Amino acid sequence: MRRRAALVAAVLLAVAPAALAAEPVPVGAVEILSGPNAAYGIAIKAGLDLALDAVNAKGVLGGRPIALTVEDSGGTKDGAINAARKLIGRDKVVALIGPTLSNEMFAVGPVTNARGVPTIGTSTTAQGITDIGPFIFRTSLPESDVLPVTLKKAIARGAKTIALLYANDDAFSKSGFDTMQAAARAAGLRIVATESFGSKDTDFSAQLTKIKSLNPDAIGISALVEPISGVMLQARQLGLGKETLFIGGNGANSPKLGQIAGAAADGMLVGSPWFVAKPDRLNQDFVTAFRAKYGKEPDQFAAQAYDAMLILAEAIDRAGVAEPAKIRDALLATDHTGPMGPFHFTDHRDPSSTEGVVVLEMHGGAFRIAD
Amino acid sequence: MEAWLDDLFWTYQNLVVSLGINGLLALSMYVVLAAGQLSLGQAAFMGLGAYSSVLMTLAWGWPFWLVLPASCVAPVAFALAVGGPTLRLSGVYLAIATIGMGEVLRAIYLNVDALGGALGLSGIPEQASPLLIYAVLAAALAVLWLVGRSGLGRAMEAMREDATAAEATGVDVRRMRLGVLVASAVLAGLAGALSAHATDFIGPNDYGFEPAVTILSFALLGGVGSPFGPVLGASVLTLLPEVFRDFANLRLVFNGIVIVLAVLFLPRGLLAWRMPRRAA
Repeated sequence: MRRRAALVAAVLLAVAPAALAAEPVPVGAVEILSGPNAAYGIAIKAGLDLALDAVNAKGVLGGRPIALTVEDSGGTKDGAINAARKLIGRDKVVALIGPTLSNEMFAVGPVTNARGVPTIGTSTTAQGITDIGPFIFRTSLPESDVLPVTLKKAIARGAKTIALLYANDDAFSKSGFDTMQAAARAAGLRIVATESFGSKDTDFSAQLTKIKSLNPDAIGISALVEPISGVMLQARQLGLGKETLFIGGNGANSPKLGQIAGAAADGMLVGSPWFVAKPDRLNQDFVTAFRAKYGKEPDQFAAQAYDAMLILAEAIDRAGVAEPAKIRDALLATDHTGPMGPFHFTDHRDPSSTEGVVVLEMHGGAFRIAD
Repeated sequence: MEAWLDDLFWTYQNLVVSLGINGLLALSMYVVLAAGQLSLGQAAFMGLGAYSSVLMTLAWGWPFWLVLPASCVAPVAFALAVGGPTLRLSGVYLAIATIGMGEVLRAIYLNVDALGGALGLSGIPEQASPLLIYAVLAAALAVLWLVGRSGLGRAMEAMREDATAAEATGVDVRRMRLGVLVASAVLAGLAGALSAHATDFIGPNDYGFEPAVTILSFALLGGVGSPFGPVLGASVLTLLPEVFRDFANLRLVFNGIVIVLAVLFLPRGLLAWRMPRRAA
C-alpha cells in the first residue's frame, strides 16, 4: 500500500510540472464578426487561427499553447469596448489583438492602455493610433508609409501634376486623403484640384469633368473599393484614358476593384503592404497553408493578422513569462520576418520598414506587380 | 476577494455606463411619445450635446460641472429653431423630418474640420463617473414621474390619445409639443455629454439614423405607460448582446428572437403598467 502511495506521489510529482508547463497562455482578439464590416473581421480571424496552428505546434514559453479567444465587436464603439473589457477582465488575456477599425481603436485603446495590456492593431491605418499610449502597437503599415512608395512609382512614370479625389464621410477615406495630400506635396507633385464625394454616391461626373478640364498627369483617389470602382468606370466613359495615371489608396487594394470595374480600372497603381503573388518563400508557404485550410485565397487583412499573431507569440517567448508589461517590452524588440516581409517596431510602436511594400498595377481586371 | 470584485466591475464598467446613458436616451424618447409625437431626432440631439460638450472640454478647457449643464444649450437651441416648422407636422411626417435633421447634422460633423470629420474627436477625459450618470438618470425619472402625475401629464396623455379632443378641452397643443421637444433635447443632450465623457471618443456615425431607431426601440420595447417602461426596455436591449456573448455566432439570432417574441406577445411593452394619477 505504501509502495503504491509512493508510486502515485512519484507520478504526480513527475506530471505536475508538465501540467503547469502546458497551462495555456490566454490571448484575446476583438474583431468585427457581424454586421456590414464583418468581411474584414472574418479574414483577420482566419489569419489569426492559421498562425495559431503554427504557434501551438511547438507552443510558447517551453511548450505552453496559446488559447485565443476572439470576441465580436459588431463594428460599434460600445461593442468593441465591452468585448475588450470582457477579454481582459474575465478571460485575463495577457495581450489583445485588434480591434478592426481605427474608430474602434480610438475607443478601446485608452481602456486597454490604462489597464496596461499590450494591444496590437492589425488593420488600423489612421493617423494617431499609437499616440494613444505606450501599450498600443500596430503591425499594419499606415498609409503614410505606403503612399510615398506608390507616388515614387508614379513620378518615375513622368507624373508632375495630380488631382485628388476622396470620400469625405468615413474615417478611412478621409485619413487616406490627408495622407495622400501630404505625400504628394512631399514628393513635389503639384496638386491642381481637390474634390470630394460621399461613400454611397453613384455619380461622380461633376468632379471628374472638372478634373478632366485641368488635365492633370495623375489622379489620386482615397475611398473604399466600391466608390473607387464607380469613379474608374465613369472616368473611362468621360474619356479619361491611359494618358492619365490613376493612383488608388489602400481602399483600392481589393480584388473587388477588378470584379466591379473590370478593364476600366486597368493601369491603376495601388501600393500594398502585401501581395498574394509575392514570390518569396515565406509568403508562398503562407498562401499555400491558407488555401489548404480554408479553400480560398488569403487577403491583405489575413496576412497582416497572421504576422501579428506570430510576432506576439515570439514576444511572449522572449518575455519569458506571460505578463502584459513584460510582453510589451519584448514586443519593442521584435525582429520578425513573415509573409509581409521583414518587420520591426519603431520606438513609437509603428512598423519601421516599408521594405515589404509592393506597388501593384491593375491589368485585365486583376493586380500584378507594377514594373 | 476584493481584487476579484474590482475585476468584475472593471469588466462590466462600460456596460454599467451604457445602461445609464441608454436609460436617459429612452426617457428622451418617452417624453415625446407620451405626448403622442413620433420624433426620431433624439440621436441628433445627443450628437449636439456630445460634440458641444467635447468642444467645451477640449477646446475651451471648461470644468465638467460647467460642461454638463451647458451641454443642453445647443440641443435646446436647435429644438427651438426646428420646432416651429416641424411641429406643424405629425405622425410619420414628423418622423421623416426629424430623420432629415439628424442627417444634416451628421453631414456637418463630417465636413467641419474642427469637429474632426470622419475621424471624430478622441482623447476626451473620462470625467463622467457611473455614479454621476445614475444620479442624472434618477433625477430625470423623478421629474418625469412628478410631471406625469400632474395636470401636465394628464394633458400629455390626452394629446397622445386624441390631439384634437385635447385641444377642444383647452390644452395648448402647440406649446405642449414644443415643450416636450425641448425636454427631449435636454435629456438627449445630457446623455450625449455623459457618454462622450465616459468613452474617450466620439464619431459622427454614433449619432446617425441607426442609433435613432435603436432609441425608439428602447421606448417601444419597454412600453410608454410610465417612464420606467422605456428605461427597462433600454436595459434589456443593452444587456442582451452581452448576456448572449458566450453564444458567439448565435448571439444575434437570440437577440432577434427575444425582440420578436416581445413584440408578438407584449404589444404594449414589457411594462404595460400605467402610472397612477392623483384625483383631479
